[in-house]
Amino acid sequence: MNILLFHSLKESAGASEIRIPVDQPLHASELWNLVLNAYPGLEPYRKHTRMACNQSYVTDETLIYPRDEIALIPPVSGG
Amino acid sequence: MNMKLDILLTHQPIVLKDWLETPGPQEGAQVFFSGHVRDLENSKTIQALVYQAYEPMAEKELERLAREICLQHPVTQAQITHRLGTIAVTEAAVAIRVVAAHRSEALEFVRIFMDRLKQDVPIWKTGSLP
Repeated sequence: MNILLFHSLKESAGASEIRIPVDQPLHASELWNLVLNAYPGLEPYRKHTRMACNQSYVTDETLIYPRDEIALIPPVSGG
Repeated sequence: MNMKLDILLTHQPIVLKDWLETPGPQEGAQVFFSGHVRDLENSKTIQALVYQAYEPMAEKELERLAREICLQHPVTQAQITHRLGTIAVTEAAVAIRVVAAHRSEALEFVRIFMDRLKQDVPIWKTGSLP
């Protein structure tokens, strides 16, 4: 599963996408744990970062499927 | 109530003089707001700000917010544009025009929409030009 990164997360990881092996549905909170295990440098951003699935924000309980489009959204600053 | 909704993300300048139109016969209020780049950012003088977005989600969030706010503050038209890329000082980064039967709905819609945009829509100021 490819996960899109933006703004501060993209700078921290040095990439606009990261890849996490996922082959079955899992909750968003579980996916977060996989991300942080693979990229511990993102841990400081966790508290203020929201996950989106197919361009909508998720809760910890949202079920994620391997082919979903996932993005990590740091605090926004538009307007 | 059906709302005529027009949402745009663009890399082109927002031309303010093109925005105001005469409302329809049952529309008693039109409210326009534009947000502009100032020459001070984090206490430093700048020439421009650079905006980026997760564009497909930003468009969906702008629409979601507009439809959600319209349930509480019904407006008949909402036109929303956010510019991306490099935006010079004094230029508009965002513009919103709403039309409603009465001014209270239109004013509240714009106030709440701008607050929510700054919380939820995945658009970022990614840098500034000194």
